[in-house]
Amino acid sequence: MELKELFNSSNVKLALGSEEKDDVLLELISLLKLDEKAKEMLFKMLKKRENLGSTGIGKGFAIPHCRSLVVDKLNVAFGRHTKGVDFNSIDGKPANYFFLIVAPPVEISNYYLPVLGKVAQFCKSTDITAKLDKLEKVEDFLALLEEAGN
Amino acid sequence: MQDNQLRLLMFLQDLLMLKKEMEDFQVVEKYEEMGFDLEKKEKIEEAIREVTGQLDAELHHRFQMIANKYDRPLAPVKNGICYGCFVSAPTGSELITQRKDVIEFCNHCGRILYQPGTL
Repeated sequence: MELKELFNSSNVKLALGSEEKDDVLLELISLLKLDEKAKEMLFKMLKKRENLGSTGIGKGFAIPHCRSLVVDKLNVAFGRHTKGVDFNSIDGKPANYFFLIVAPPVEISNYYLPVLGKVAQFCKSTDITAKLDKLEKVEDFLALLEEAGN
Repeated sequence: MQDNQLRLLMFLQDLLMLKKEMEDFQVVEKYEEMGFDLEKKEKIEEAIREVTGQLDAELHHRFQMIANKYDRPLAPVKNGICYGCFVSAPTGSELITQRKDVIEFCNHCGRILYQPGTL
């Protein structure tokens, strides 16, 4: 599965407004089509995952992720924060680009780890932060995913 | 009350799945290659204890009994079918009638049932 197939105008937000790590997680979760209780459970699960080690992989990127019973298929979201948010990233720098990845405990196609790997690879692409900073609309983001071959 | 207990059971299952992942050397290696820091992965035990402490003791005991038999003690019900064993839930099941305040077990495999999307 290619990354561009997973993203669309409803799960991409280029101007996240939150200032704290937890609020960024909630804002990303809000991009998924889930009911309120499911969102609440997912938030708790993502927080527990963060406690094992931040998903802030450095260079401005964070990829919060988990498996959860509250979803029945792979769900993703992308958010960009111009100023950056403290995400306890491994390099100690604020995170500006967030990929949320949530999968059910069992998937027939088992996309979770491969998609996570593709996102991590995308985050390491040459000049990727400059390209992400230039995005003006969601379509630009989708085109960037396509350009990156993901 | 029961609704909350069901959500706690679901949360517990998610945490146990995460624990299993953290115990899998190959999976952890993949995460680390992707750039994730899992320095505090033992904290998962603490999270499991926290959730277990909020569960009704009898219900937790039953969960553990089912967990000894199956990797995933909870199973979704879709179109009246338990997706753990793929056998129809019993006629008149509260899950079929959409009630959310009861905890039901599959008559066939014994898994705890839940309806996805109606937490």
